[in-house]
Amino acid sequence: MTEQKTKIVAFLCNWCSYGAADLAGVSRMQYPADVRVIRIPCSGRMSPKFILSAFREGADGVWVSG
Amino acid sequence: MSLAGEKKYKEALEVIYRTLPLPGTIGRVCPHPCEDACRREQVESAISICTLKRFIADQVDPSELDAPVIIPREERVAIVGAGPAGLTAAAYLARAGVKTTIFEALPAAGGMLKVGIPDYRLPPAILEKEVGYITDTLGVEIQYNTALGKDFTIDSLMEDGFKSVYLAIGCHKGMALGLAGEESEGVISGVKLLKEVALGEFKELSGHVVIIGGGDVAIDAARTALRIGADKVSILYRRTEAEMPARDEEIEDAIEENVEMQFLTAPKEVISKDGKTVGIKCFRMELGEPDASGRRRPVPVEDSDFVIDTDYIIPAIGQKTDAACIDVKAGVELNKWGDLAVDSITFETSRKGVFAGGDAETGASIAINAVAAGNEAGVSILRYLDGQDLAANREPVEYAQKDFNKIPDKMDKVKRQSMARLPMEQRLAGFDEVELGLTEEQALLEANKCLDCMVCCECYECVKACGAGALTLESHFEKPSTETITAGSVILSPGFAAFDPSGLDNYQYANHPNVMTAMEFERILSASGPTQGHLTRFSDHKEPKKIAWFQCVGSRDMNRCDHKYCSSVCCMYALKEAVIAKEHAGDDLECTIFFMDMRTHGKDFERYYNRAKELGIRFVRSRVHTVNPVLGTDDLNVRYVNEMGGMESEEFDMIVLSVGLEITPEVVDLAGKLDIELTEGNFAKTKSFAPVETTRKGIFVSGAFQGPKDIPQAVVDSSAAAAEAGAMLATARDTMTKTAEVVPETNVIGERPRIGVFVCKCGSNIAGTVDVESVRDYAATLPYVEYCSDSLYTCSQDTQDAMSQLIKEHNLNRIVVAACTPKTHEPLFQETLINAGLNKYLFEMTNIRNHASWVHKANPGLATEKSKDLVRMAVAKVGLMEPLKEAELTVNQAAMVIGGGIAGITSAKNLAEQGYEVHLVEKDSKLGGQANNLYKTYLEEDIQEGLSALVASVETNDRIHLHLDTTLDEVEGFVGNFKSTLTANGETQTLDHGVAVIATGATGLKPKEYCYGEDPRILTSLELDRKFIDKDASVKEAGTAVFIQCVGSRDTDRPYCSRVCCTHSIDNALELKTLNPEMDVYILYRDIRTYGEREYKYQKAREAGVIFIRYSLDNKPVVNIGDEHLTVTVTDHVLGVPLEIETDLLTLATAIVPNKDETLANFFKVPLNEDGFFVERHAKLGPSEFATDGVFLCGLAHYPKPVDEAIAHGQAAASRAVTLLARETVRMSGNVANVDPMACSSCGVCVSICPYSAPSFALEGRFAGTAEVNPVLCKGCGLCVASCRSGALHLKGFDTNQIFAQIFALDEAV
Repeated sequence: MTEQKTKIVAFLCNWCSYGAADLAGVSRMQYPADVRVIRIPCSGRMSPKFILSAFREGADGVWVSG
Repeated sequence: MSLAGEKKYKEALEVIYRTLPLPGTIGRVCPHPCEDACRREQVESAISICTLKRFIADQVDPSELDAPVIIPREERVAIVGAGPAGLTAAAYLARAGVKTTIFEALPAAGGMLKVGIPDYRLPPAILEKEVGYITDTLGVEIQYNTALGKDFTIDSLMEDGFKSVYLAIGCHKGMALGLAGEESEGVISGVKLLKEVALGEFKELSGHVVIIGGGDVAIDAARTALRIGADKVSILYRRTEAEMPARDEEIEDAIEENVEMQFLTAPKEVISKDGKTVGIKCFRMELGEPDASGRRRPVPVEDSDFVIDTDYIIPAIGQKTDAACIDVKAGVELNKWGDLAVDSITFETSRKGVFAGGDAETGASIAINAVAAGNEAGVSILRYLDGQDLAANREPVEYAQKDFNKIPDKMDKVKRQSMARLPMEQRLAGFDEVELGLTEEQALLEANKCLDCMVCCECYECVKACGAGALTLESHFEKPSTETITAGSVILSPGFAAFDPSGLDNYQYANHPNVMTAMEFERILSASGPTQGHLTRFSDHKEPKKIAWFQCVGSRDMNRCDHKYCSSVCCMYALKEAVIAKEHAGDDLECTIFFMDMRTHGKDFERYYNRAKELGIRFVRSRVHTVNPVLGTDDLNVRYVNEMGGMESEEFDMIVLSVGLEITPEVVDLAGKLDIELTEGNFAKTKSFAPVETTRKGIFVSGAFQGPKDIPQAVVDSSAAAAEAGAMLATARDTMTKTAEVVPETNVIGERPRIGVFVCKCGSNIAGTVDVESVRDYAATLPYVEYCSDSLYTCSQDTQDAMSQLIKEHNLNRIVVAACTPKTHEPLFQETLINAGLNKYLFEMTNIRNHASWVHKANPGLATEKSKDLVRMAVAKVGLMEPLKEAELTVNQAAMVIGGGIAGITSAKNLAEQGYEVHLVEKDSKLGGQANNLYKTYLEEDIQEGLSALVASVETNDRIHLHLDTTLDEVEGFVGNFKSTLTANGETQTLDHGVAVIATGATGLKPKEYCYGEDPRILTSLELDRKFIDKDASVKEAGTAVFIQCVGSRDTDRPYCSRVCCTHSIDNALELKTLNPEMDVYILYRDIRTYGEREYKYQKAREAGVIFIRYSLDNKPVVNIGDEHLTVTVTDHVLGVPLEIETDLLTLATAIVPNKDETLANFFKVPLNEDGFFVERHAKLGPSEFATDGVFLCGLAHYPKPVDEAIAHGQAAASRAVTLLARETVRMSGNVANVDPMACSSCGVCVSICPYSAPSFALEGRFAGTAEVNPVLCKGCGLCVASCRSGALHLKGFDTNQIFAQIFALDEAV
């Protein structure tokens, strides 16, 4: 691999941040293509294990938003 | 023309070809009668339609056009004659799939176009190219050298199996002069000459050639003679140049080419020697009286004979149909001119199935008429083949359309473009084309002159562009139609139009690009607007640094727009726009709002106003006088009068006009047709106690047609209108419903996953960036994926049907859709799963549009890679999805309304009228709430009278159970199944109900300021109302009365506006003035908020002499109690000095204070805001319900409101409640938590943590003591799942293993 790719996992609450990510699209805001979104029903659903396993899978960053 | 103007020549040619298969040909020879109809003539000159068609045809090789889709038919049709009529009919029929054969007597196609038009006007290659399209692309067969009457007959064609015959044999026989000596050698008819030259049979002549006649053939013969060697050519014409029927361009060309014109000359005798022509004896004519054709009849001049020496005489005085080929016995008759006789509409001859047209039917005419005839014949023949009525709906119309697009007043004149011509020295040497066509530059100039008279140019490019197939030729042709619907009631919500400020010339809106309306400014702020949300001004796309808003443009203005009312919404939207503009542009943007009164009377609006002030938005209380452009810049100078009366001048980059709402003339007209009355402002007339009912029974109104209003109020009204219509139609409920067919659900438990992946292109929204095909192919490589496809629009109905079919065909049991957002589209796809017999939870949607294609436009590669990752993650998750069950519960059909005020009573009344049992709970001993204290509505209706009627109607309704003096002690349960405990007079009762309406109201503030309570002459507004109700004589005796507004409202304790007080005080001031016109009445206010048509009362009060004095929050009035009078001291805003008013009556317009009932809020798990009002589900779209299912809201408990709005709100809450009650059962989401009791350690964290009280400890059974989750209460947030330390809790649809599967799929190699 010649180029270092960054991978950021975003756990987004269905009711707010996931909608905000949709809105970013509607508004055609441009951002780097490194984020992979996992939709969760509420940030209350978030478990530390998800964060740890994301890092174990090679994520460079984890973003929980809700 | 429109397409040509956009250089879309190929598309333009396709459009032309629909009706004219010979545009390059016709575009060269046509005298263009179409241009006479061109409305551009009214500007300067008609568009060169003819030459433009030629230009378009010359740009495109027809063989490059997309082959038309032809559905072949079995029938064969014979066409006799390959002239313009025959070719056009053949092309028409061939497009319809009919097998068409043309029989042509000559060795070439084109008819007169070939043999009548010389090559210098129409190069043979052009005609051949166009005929080639008809034969090669459309598949028409032409048999040359095959003549009717010689090689075949009509009967023989029929015998050969041709179903129909079209006779387009033309008019090829030149008429004879009828002179002595005509048979001499050297006399040859014009048509014959042209024909023989065209076919190469006649190669040259010499000497002097005399042509007789003034038509196109005469000119063509003259110019042809010159080209084949004639030394001199003369045309003899018996009238003058002005009467010549030939094209003007042709006459000019002929004169240029030195053809001699002898006008007013007629031939008398051919002079011959040895059978050879040597001269022609002629005589002179003069013009006499006009004849039937309107042309002046030539009259011979006596004794004027003279002789012209000549070698050739070419008569070109007309042609006729050579009908010798027609066997009369075949049943085809001729008319009195010797042409074929046909029906004038269908072109059918006297023989059934045989049609005729073109010159053979009309006599010699222009080619375009033959083309038109060919098309008409095509229609007839097709109908004949289909056995349809030939004539139906084909009556000729004088004008195809009359409602033309208006010609703009100011139009730049564009000179009609003319073609370059071959230089004279090159002309006579041969048959090279003389007219050289338009250059592209000329063509575009001409084409763009088009005025788009018909608006739509019918190019059907939209049909081609619509990939979803929603727009088809058929739907494009759809026209308005009239249908009759039987309805029990009608709801009018025709809306409003924004006021057009073009007429207010002092604001420069019509003239200056940087003055725009607020609606236009909204588009500037919008991401999907013309500037993609970048705040720039129109003139130079500069980012503005100073923007001014002008309020009340088209509102509160009797002089210039005739709208006396306040439009209610403009203050708030201007604030919003200013705040958003600052968000877009940053802090250095200066926003200034010029206003008269700031009317932020809605819920939370005053807070927004305060926030806007904190953000630095400047508020100038002034109505702007004049706007002038600043010379040399695009800026604008604003002149206005400040509060002190001084003239100010300031410059701005941009001006936004806060335009008001108005009812359009169309709606006024509609109201007239429906026979409903309107108010002074043209709004539907309603009453306070029936706020959504028009003056005609059964017709209801909602939205801005009822009065200018904002979204929440419009939503309330529309629910209220639905409730009132529902009450009228209660007996008809469920009588016209359709039941959806239920597809049995396939059991997939235990099956190996068979995943279907559907990737959406979303038109070009996704496919424009993401390589959808490669995502689809990648998905096919993923484990358990059985089927993959991509589609243009996965959400379209046809794709849904296909998907449902594919699920069944491929036995798919898990589905992934990679498209847009599940937040809007998941339910749609789940519906498709249900239709295919799959449980709807066996589905996962991933968003490759909003989260990939739209946000990584510059990086298609990375966007595609990301899409593949997202699809892989979704596939990994969906494999673990399980079919879920949705809890279904029955809805108890009773409602409980808490609060017996005017809103609660109305709500209960409507629910009962709609057929449901209602428990109306009131803590007091009397119904009516605050309305018991109110005197009159702003429409001057007696509130006590209205209230008594309302109370009586609920007291007598059997379905309404009144619970007076009753308190609510406890509420258990959830939507559909509430259990409430009531206590009345020490007795406790438990009620079951499915829904609850909270209408607990609010109260008037008892103030601690302005000496309230210290003197009987100091009252609150409600206390004054009480005096009016009681007809207390003391109020009448006061010499002076003062009202102080905003007592306890709009201050730091209560930063909200109480909405009703301005109108209330003005109403009461007017009442005092009515009781005692001599009384001096003062209203001390901060902003007058008489929104909507309440504004009229403000005007009326000023007219009645009520004095309005504005004070500010930091300089409130001061009240002193004197022996004789009360003294109110206030600083006048104009004079700036304190004013002392001695008064006998002081009314304090006190705030409306909510009850802040936290116990009730807890009972129903509904929120209160910081002021103590209940918080509705959605501030704009859900004003009458709570986020908690089954609980509804109305009246003052929501926010202060006057009687009419409280009643509408009560009706609205009932309407929302009925949507639940009418369903009888409700299904809850399957995405809920559940407990594995074997793993549960009974720690109780889930029980304590859940905001919805869904988990509890099981009380009985095998697992008593462990947690269980009530699926009905569970909202599926997963809080308990994340907090469960034993791993006993699972969230269906978002379970731990499913989320892990997504995480584990993150970094697999792509």
